Amino acid sequence: MAGNPRDKYCIVGVGETEYSRASGRTTRALGAEAIRNAMNDAGLTPDDVDGMLSYHGGDSTPSTSIQYDLGIRPNFYMDCSGGGSSTEALVGLAIGAIEAGMCDVVAIFRSMNGYSSVRIGGTGARASAPIGGLDLMKRPYGLISAVQQFSYTFTRHMAEYGVKSEDLAAIKVAHSNHASNNPKALMKHRVTVDDVMNSRWIIRPVAHLLDCCLETDNATCVIVTSAERAKDLKHKPIYVKGVQGRGTKPGGDFHYQHGPITRVAGHYVGPRVFDLAGVKHEDVDITGCYDAFTYTVLLQFEDYGWCEKGEGKDYVTSGIINLGGKRPNNLSGGHLCEGYTHGMNMVIENVRQLRGTVDDYCPGALEGDHTYDYAEGGCRQVKDAKISMNMGWGTPAVGSSLIMGNVLS
Amino acid sequence: MANYNYRGITLSIPENDSEYKGYFEAAGEGRLVVKKCADCGLLRGEPGPACPWCTSINWEWQQVSGKGTIYSYQVVAHTVIPSFRDLTPFAIVLVELDEQRGQPDEFDGLRITGNLVDADFNMEKEENVGIGKRVEAVFQPVEEGFMLPQWKLIDEPDQGFTWSHEVPEG
Repeated sequence: MAGNPRDKYCIVGVGETEYSRASGRTTRALGAEAIRNAMNDAGLTPDDVDGMLSYHGGDSTPSTSIQYDLGIRPNFYMDCSGGGSSTEALVGLAIGAIEAGMCDVVAIFRSMNGYSSVRIGGTGARASAPIGGLDLMKRPYGLISAVQQFSYTFTRHMAEYGVKSEDLAAIKVAHSNHASNNPKALMKHRVTVDDVMNSRWIIRPVAHLLDCCLETDNATCVIVTSAERAKDLKHKPIYVKGVQGRGTKPGGDFHYQHGPITRVAGHYVGPRVFDLAGVKHEDVDITGCYDAFTYTVLLQFEDYGWCEKGEGKDYVTSGIINLGGKRPNNLSGGHLCEGYTHGMNMVIENVRQLRGTVDDYCPGALEGDHTYDYAEGGCRQVKDAKISMNMGWGTPAVGSSLIMGNVLS
Repeated sequence: MANYNYRGITLSIPENDSEYKGYFEAAGEGRLVVKKCADCGLLRGEPGPACPWCTSINWEWQQVSGKGTIYSYQVVAHTVIPSFRDLTPFAIVLVELDEQRGQPDEFDGLRITGNLVDADFNMEKEENVGIGKRVEAVFQPVEEGFMLPQWKLIDEPDQGFTWSHEVPEG
């Protein structure tokens, strides 16, 4: 691979709005607040930020509006079409823009009223809108929502590898335990395997209600700059070790025409990102694995090589992914419990984890003073986490990954 | 431009739809067709404008037998489409056609989505859905000149890998 940006670029600021189901504001207002919070977090002013990147599904506000609101004058901006797996990919694009001399400091944001305005599942009026093109092959059969788009992969995997609903529920349980120690989380209460199993079915045999992520109003932001520029900013810089995105399976939208249908994009993305980062699986302390549904987590753990194909059910039920386990996953509660952000909150969480200043219930949390008591309503800081890995999911065919670290290689 | 109404949803098929117009025209005559590359001769399950194997943009519609095997499926217990609510639970199946299975690569096949229906185009019972079950295309009348390809179980032994989920009681 041509350029390797390892350790040359950092995430220096992170910020978000409240996670809610009724923001009562526009995506413009949410976006401005998240970017402002990230600038304040970094110790940057609007004069310092000269790049903006966002992603959206026709449900957001462009950079060119929000630049006015915050007094930013970009030398570079792009508003990209995309959902899950965009965050990691845009970190790479921000590095590319800086490397090309187009700008120096890039704010990447996602703003959405994902519950009160444009619901990701396509619920209600959107579901009855006129359709054409490739939707003709799906919508007349009642196939529309994200879990449905992914379910051929999920069901076939369940059939071939003997995955049980209980195995999937373990993922929700772990993430809910993490969320119980996150004051920001929209769904803070801890749930049990039975709670998941007893929640109503959405799509059989692969998803109960509690296997599905939340729908959330929020905006999120991360700020990327060079390691050189990061030196005099507020926090310890979190280095980008390696980034990949959005890598795809053969066939893209029509990946199920090829196969194996149970394979996801991580199969292609994983080796490249580990190679760039110069780390091995055992070097990684924490993961952020995109949890649109419990099944997306299990599939990505397999195809990124955290376990053998077919052993994802053992990996997620082993305790490894739980707080206090060997390599905990989605420590903020992720999409299943903290809020649905199209991936950005899992990157934000890992930045805070690597800084050692996660915003849990410990009185001295923001100064890095943690109790490491992981009981409900307590701490969620992982001790001495040095390397994190995010695995973003767009579809079974589309994935991105970001490996970060808090020390130079 | 032709518009059809199915369960309150407008299906819009403009004259310049080079992917799906011919597919639904054939379906309107009770024929299931796929695209065949006019150069290398391979069929493709998704009626795209070019051949995924040789990039040729020359193609023709090819009628297929309409028989196949359920490759994967989902049972919709909760739908977000209001006009489908009275149908739940219903099955959506991914059918692998008999033609060109495992060609040109081991995991390739011609795979098409539809509902699993009975002889009267009512949704098939959930306990009858399963991977490996044999099906054939049937054409559900929607409007004059427009029929929707659907799938019906046929009396043939299951084929290849077979599996079905446990249907909850009630």
